[in-house]
Amino acid sequence: MKHFLRVLTQFFVFLYCKCLWRTLKFVIRKVTGRCELQRICYNNKPGARRTLKIESSLRFSKNELLQSAVSAHPDSVEKTIDDIMTLKKINPDTNPQLGISLQASLFQIVGYRNLVLEVEKLRREPYDCENAEHEEMLLKLWKALRPETPLTGRISKQWCEIGFQGSDPKTDFRGMGLLGLHNLLYFAEHDKAAALQVLHDSLQPKHRPISLGTTSKLSKAEWEKKKFDKAIGYSFAIVGINITDLAYALLVSGALKTHLYNVAPEMPSLAHFQQTFCYLMQEFHKFWTEEDPSDIMEFNHVRAKFHKRVLKQLKNPNMTLCPHFAASDLHLVNL
Amino acid sequence: MGLLTILKKMKHKEREMRLLMLGLDNAGKTTILKKFNGEDVSTISPTLGFNIKTLEHRGFKLNIWDVGGQKSLRSYWRNYFESTDGLVWVVDSADRLRLEDCRQELSALLLEERLAGATLLVFANKQDLPGALSKDAIREAMALDSIKTHHWCIIGCSAVTGENLLPGVDWLLDDIAARIFTAD
Repeated sequence: MKHFLRVLTQFFVFLYCKCLWRTLKFVIRKVTGRCELQRICYNNKPGARRTLKIESSLRFSKNELLQSAVSAHPDSVEKTIDDIMTLKKINPDTNPQLGISLQASLFQIVGYRNLVLEVEKLRREPYDCENAEHEEMLLKLWKALRPETPLTGRISKQWCEIGFQGSDPKTDFRGMGLLGLHNLLYFAEHDKAAALQVLHDSLQPKHRPISLGTTSKLSKAEWEKKKFDKAIGYSFAIVGINITDLAYALLVSGALKTHLYNVAPEMPSLAHFQQTFCYLMQEFHKFWTEEDPSDIMEFNHVRAKFHKRVLKQLKNPNMTLCPHFAASDLHLVNL
Repeated sequence: MGLLTILKKMKHKEREMRLLMLGLDNAGKTTILKKFNGEDVSTISPTLGFNIKTLEHRGFKLNIWDVGGQKSLRSYWRNYFESTDGLVWVVDSADRLRLEDCRQELSALLLEERLAGATLLVFANKQDLPGALSKDAIREAMALDSIKTHHWCIIGCSAVTGENLLPGVDWLLDDIAARIFTAD
């Protein structure tokens, strides 16, 4: 009996997806006199809620024009909107707002796709010591984070002070390529106070209060050793490269759509992505402090937990990931 | 019944091995681990802390620990020594400047009591790079021939192309199995 019911539900779900859904859409269209795109625009506030619905409506459409609209070139968005209006027989004079709303959403959709390509291109470009531009960016990063201390040489142990692994940062960019450097530099230059604070905190030795009871049991040497073990916060630059990895994964999986559709009025740009990175760096730092891991060896565990939390937050269509930036920086959606 | 149970137990007994992968930073430890596990190796970041993967290979259950090689992390390596069956030491064959550093770290490891029984596999990684030293040059530079305390083997490989990873791991498994599972 149970099995039968399950098959029956599955059958109805299948039927719904296959034809009922379309029939329902058709009936609602006839009753309200509005097509699905119109209904979405009238019933949802601008932002992720609306754009996500429009995106899935276009993607699952039977019509080729609507299907291909999500991959239109940014220059042809306006023409695509005109075509859609003609196709849906909507009079632009009686619905002046609809065209504008649809256009804004479509710009966000194609903009996101282009942003993924742009970010991927940066990621694939390896750091190259022969490239003067790359070298200049790296030195700028040092100047931004350590304005008081001049670098003694391009290859120097000093790089460890800002959290690179060794004396040449080149090898640390690895799979994130130039994207890691761009992000770190953006954080250091555009959100300077926060970046310096995170760097400062990351360099603080982590002294755990060792209770008196245990102290007496340990010899002095052991105690010193224990203290030394705990005296490692985390490495700013390579945490930055790891958080770049996280931001990249969020972007490519589409999870960042919620945030970017809420903050970018039209095409999301690289700056939006970099601001998201700055936010994630600060949030991760807070998260790390709250989690209070006993040492750096727990990094991957804490990172996975943080990733899960951000993913959960992004499920909420009203979510934005950067309350910290001023609205004027972000040109918040206001249509 | 007794005999049957024992036979069954022997058959089902998990043939588990614990492998520890160490080496200087940027040697390619995480890339080797991911490539061996069939994962994408194009988006790797420096390892903070460690990665662990459990995988099945030739009927063995392998627990592979990959611990970050950054200087400040090396003091944590000893937390992972316990009951290690095989030590995989990864060398960046193109990093000539730090070969001496690499030799010293390895020889310090081999003095560790808790690693005394472990088999040593040295991966001369990054053989695909134009400036890479050959397997034999690494063997000499690291003075491997002077190692008398451990079974060891050096294999030239490339984590990016996957070349020679399998032969290396297979040698390691054979050596460990001959040592610990002969009782079965």
